[in-house]
Amino acid sequence: MASISIRNLIKRYGNYTVIPALNLEIADHEFIVFVGPSGCGKSTLLRIIAGLEPISAGDLYIGDDRVNGVPAARRDIAMVFQDYALYPHMRVYENMSFALELRGVPKTEIAARVKRAAALLHIEPYLDRKPKELSGGQRQRVAMGRAIVRNPKVFLFDEPLSNLDAKLRAQVRAEIKTLSQQLKTTMIFVTHDQVEAMTMADRIVVLQGGSVQQYDTPELVYERPANQFVAGFIGSPTMNFFPAELRGERVVLSHDGTAVGLNGAAQARLKNAGGKAVLGIRPEHFAVAPDASEAIEVTVKLVEPLGSDTLVHFELAGVSAIARVHPGLRPRVGDHLYLRPEPGKTHLFDNEHGRVLS
Amino acid sequence: MTSMPVSDAVLRRLNTLQLALAGIIIMAPVAWMVLSSFKPSFEVTAYPPSLIFSPTAENYGELIKTTPFFSYAVNSLIVTVGSAGIGLIFGIPAAFAVSWTRISWPAILTLAARMAPGTLFLLPWYVMFRQVGLIGSYTALILSHAVITLPIVIWVLLPSFDNIPRSVFEAAQVDGCSVTRILWRIALPLVGSGVAVAAILAFVFSWNYFLFALVLSNGDTKTLIAAAFNFVGEGSTQWGVLMAAATLIALPPLVLATLVQRWLVAGLTLGAVKG
Repeated sequence: MASISIRNLIKRYGNYTVIPALNLEIADHEFIVFVGPSGCGKSTLLRIIAGLEPISAGDLYIGDDRVNGVPAARRDIAMVFQDYALYPHMRVYENMSFALELRGVPKTEIAARVKRAAALLHIEPYLDRKPKELSGGQRQRVAMGRAIVRNPKVFLFDEPLSNLDAKLRAQVRAEIKTLSQQLKTTMIFVTHDQVEAMTMADRIVVLQGGSVQQYDTPELVYERPANQFVAGFIGSPTMNFFPAELRGERVVLSHDGTAVGLNGAAQARLKNAGGKAVLGIRPEHFAVAPDASEAIEVTVKLVEPLGSDTLVHFELAGVSAIARVHPGLRPRVGDHLYLRPEPGKTHLFDNEHGRVLS
Repeated sequence: MTSMPVSDAVLRRLNTLQLALAGIIIMAPVAWMVLSSFKPSFEVTAYPPSLIFSPTAENYGELIKTTPFFSYAVNSLIVTVGSAGIGLIFGIPAAFAVSWTRISWPAILTLAARMAPGTLFLLPWYVMFRQVGLIGSYTALILSHAVITLPIVIWVLLPSFDNIPRSVFEAAQVDGCSVTRILWRIALPLVGSGVAVAAILAFVFSWNYFLFALVLSNGDTKTLIAAAFNFVGEGSTQWGVLMAAATLIALPPLVLATLVQRWLVAGLTLGAVKG
């Protein structure tokens, strides 16, 4: 069993606290993605789980074993590093077999396991090569192969796709996901790329300042962000935020009083929050209306055609905003568009802490 | 006044000239030493020095005949190989430990020891070795020369170890390696050229070191360089023989340096630029 339990974990470097009292439960066989901006503590947390960083306070369990202070070598985890960290002086075969050799696995079994992993990752032709003779993608696969042959309790991935070009990244991303379904092992994947997080994870841990902002399935993180930070971090282009308030029975944008036609539930939430909040609308949750009735009129400032859809930049209530529209609309700079937030797809956050209003 | 552009060809020539001048300044005494060792004794001190002469091996013959030259050479070899060996045995793990822990004061301490004048150590050592009856022994010479070799090994290898990406060591940790095993299985194979450079430099510096051998050796353990000092007599120095001895003493370091010069430069600049 390879569940992971992190209880009141604190990590300090001198007087500087990187992770303040973090709690997290990861179930056996789950694919978890730690996502967050640079410096949010996601790699530190992964390295703590790996045993490469000591814990300042709190407890870490892998399965039923408390592993505080247990060296990396005895945690039965495998890790894929951002720069792959292959052993430059060893051939691919030796890179993959090294850990097994250290554990005293018989040679015939080592050969069988390396062969099986190499077949899974399509790297059989390269087993006799040194890492410097491989491309970035091939090295990446060898790094994964080195982890797979171990058959560990937990796989850890530290931004393993960030050194690959966009095409290869998409390919390897799919391969890792397929692999996770085949191997049925607990996997933790660190990335700052929300697309990787959304596409691969069973559950996403959104981190900021060493704290868990939200821990949910990709769908819930996207559809019901816990706070303004998560709402802004997940989704591309990012969610549009407007200061909003309740004027009489109408929800309007504070800057210019533009009515946004929100439903009764949103009005009630605003009312509970003292009448003022931050309204969040994702670019894809603006619907284009035929006329001004119940819609907001905007002037197109910039058009970004993406093929599958088109991004329209405009200014609304003093805020630069983006709407994702159908490419067939073919808007032009200077055109007037009528946009309507899709019912039930808007978000309200409290002004002070950015918490979602519910 | 406008500056005239200097053509590449002129620059190249100036560069060659500069290097040639530097080469002459550095190599002139060496050439003089080698030439003198092949001159008949009466021509060695002749002024102006003759460049054309009939070369003779009489100085070398005299050297072998009148001094236990080969015994001294064997002594030098024992002390040099022993101290270079100690330098490597202790210096390799020390350099790795400094690189691994990023605690640099032990390395700085060894450097300070290397930079301090030898006389600082000589007197205490003399007293200490005399008390344990080791004066004149190979042990005393090898241990004292380790002060020369150890800092060299540490400081040549430190950038080599630093140059290995940290993640490679961490991958080895995750794979199940202890720190000792990481040193032997991962780090050491990756700094092979650095170890070779460190070994050669340790050998050369120990071979050439004069002071400790002069005081701590005896007639049976005297090294070549200390013995050569005795060839300078009061008023009756045999310059030709001395030149022959100096030439032979300089030979092993020169041959070593020439054989591995490309490697030497690569090893010394390792870590300067991250690949």
